[in-house]
Amino acid sequence: MSTGAAGLRKLITSNVLSMFGLITASVFLVVTVAQVVSSGAILPYNAYQPNFVQANLSPSLSHPFGTDLLGRDMLSRVITALPIDVGIPIITVAFSAAIGIVLGTLAAFFRGWLDEVLMRLTDLFMAFPTMIMAMAIAATLGPSLVNVTFSMIIVWWPPYVRLVRGGVLAIAAEDFVSISKALNSSFLYIVRKDAIPNVLPTILVYATFDVGSALLTLSTLGFLNVGIPPSAPELGMMVSNVTYNLFLYPYQIILPAVVVALIVAGFSFLGEGIRESLDVKLRPHIFVRSKPAKAIETKTQ
Amino acid sequence: MIPLRDFLPYLGKRVLGAIGVLIGAMLLVFFISYILNPNPAHLWAGARASKSTIAAVVARYHLDQPWYVQLYYFLQSYTTGNFGIDPQTGRSILSEMEFYFPNTLELVLVSMVMIVALGVASGYIAGMHFGTKVDHAIRIFYLATWSSPYYLGGFLAILVFSSYVPLFPSGGMFSQTLAPINHITGIYILDALVQLNGQAFMSGIYHVIMPAAVLALLDFGLVARIMRSSILNARWSTHVKAARAKGTPEGEVRRNHILRNALIDTNTIIAVTFGFLLSGTIVIEEIFAWPGIGYFTYQAIVSINYPVLIPCVLLFTLGVIVANFVADVFYSLLDPRIALGEGGGAEG
Repeated sequence: MSTGAAGLRKLITSNVLSMFGLITASVFLVVTVAQVVSSGAILPYNAYQPNFVQANLSPSLSHPFGTDLLGRDMLSRVITALPIDVGIPIITVAFSAAIGIVLGTLAAFFRGWLDEVLMRLTDLFMAFPTMIMAMAIAATLGPSLVNVTFSMIIVWWPPYVRLVRGGVLAIAAEDFVSISKALNSSFLYIVRKDAIPNVLPTILVYATFDVGSALLTLSTLGFLNVGIPPSAPELGMMVSNVTYNLFLYPYQIILPAVVVALIVAGFSFLGEGIRESLDVKLRPHIFVRSKPAKAIETKTQ
Repeated sequence: MIPLRDFLPYLGKRVLGAIGVLIGAMLLVFFISYILNPNPAHLWAGARASKSTIAAVVARYHLDQPWYVQLYYFLQSYTTGNFGIDPQTGRSILSEMEFYFPNTLELVLVSMVMIVALGVASGYIAGMHFGTKVDHAIRIFYLATWSSPYYLGGFLAILVFSSYVPLFPSGGMFSQTLAPINHITGIYILDALVQLNGQAFMSGIYHVIMPAAVLALLDFGLVARIMRSSILNARWSTHVKAARAKGTPEGEVRRNHILRNALIDTNTIIAVTFGFLLSGTIVIEEIFAWPGIGYFTYQAIVSINYPVLIPCVLLFTLGVIVANFVADVFYSLLDPRIALGEGGGAEG
């Protein structure tokens, strides 16, 4: 397998799932960045100005997602929600990965009581129902975007600690780490040069998939009107505000929900596809996969 | 089978661990609620409560006392066995949970049956057709449904199967025109079945199918994904080659060597899915007007009603622990090499 950028490109393009994921996730990322950078100039219509003449229009060429009951263009409203719906899950996962790398490396390197305390704490947090805890913390803190991000991170970090700890433990047993230790390398040097570069790929793949899960939780918080301020545009909340329109104007509910599903699918297809391409056990079977299963069966025997 | 002398110490260790986690969970929720909102009397008494009502609530829950006194009274209410009184309804919290929890259990159990059937079957088919169009189609389908939020699935189902093609009711647990049935387990369809009440049973089934199917369709991917990768692990392993070389019939190889080995790993994720569904039904219960424990917990959360929230969190946590425990026992039944207590299975 080739390395570097060419290797990564081959890795992603060799799999249908990761190709679809890459394209979808990139489209949403680009639109999100464009929306933030241009501060709304890319919107086809004003997302906040009511226009009652054009209320409740079905999807058409001029309004691909239709208009809501105040006559605002739904596509523009969905785009204004992207910074929150793409941004907060990425921030949540990034912070959780950072917490995981710090605590997981500490637990794996120092073992003993520190390991024991950190892992029991992780177990405790993992036994909690994620959704309920996030809701409870967000509700008690009061509605604000900072609070909702904070409550997401509180319930999101534990799997990362386990993942990093396991990875670092496996690497710490390798000869090159023992030699590095024997050469009197400092703890930070070993962590920076050996531990982190070796765990990072696993974390990145897991985190890519996880951005999707984080968005599902975030938009559920929005749907249940917990934590997200009413003035902030969020897709789940956008859906829950118009549920009474389900039978009259179904597109007002279904289309924003489909956008949530597409963002989640983008990140999870990408993560899942890369994970499978990286799976060493499957590699001998992947490169003959255009042939029918029977042919593979005989080939491997 | 597991020898009893191995099983009892293992059971003891797990029970102790579970008690530790439950006490930790209880203290954590208490402190989070206390630190963030030390005097919720006006929330519990309602927006238009008079000063004397608020004073009565403060006095009843000792809200004017320091935190350790509050914690003492709080723990004391647990020794009476009914978790105290719900500050918003005035009823015993235990009796409220006894009403709501079986409803959720009914929904989750029906949908677990669908999840296991769908997940195991589609994971097996995808794994056995690895790399073909069938495999891609199944994976794209379960990843796509897994990526959909519950409200998308729920509203689409109502729109299509209650409005466009009116096959199923859009909400509720049973037909309101039926005579109420006796409360035995609290699980409606089970009670109807035990009392041989055919009409009530059919009505229960008719109402549970749509919400349970939406839950199952959106979550069977978790099981299918693990099932597929365990099938891939098993089908090219040396023992399968050995079995084929011996001349074992293909059907027997698939059943006893591939499927059985794949089920060992899948059984853990089935337990995880069950624990996750118990607390994960809030949105579905909200959409389908299902009076379950998720809905009850949601009401407690938005009114910062932690005397109710804490027993609910404990119940969900206990559900996760019990599900993991059952998975571990199954694990050792399916794979005789794995002894209980060696840390072989999923840890709580």
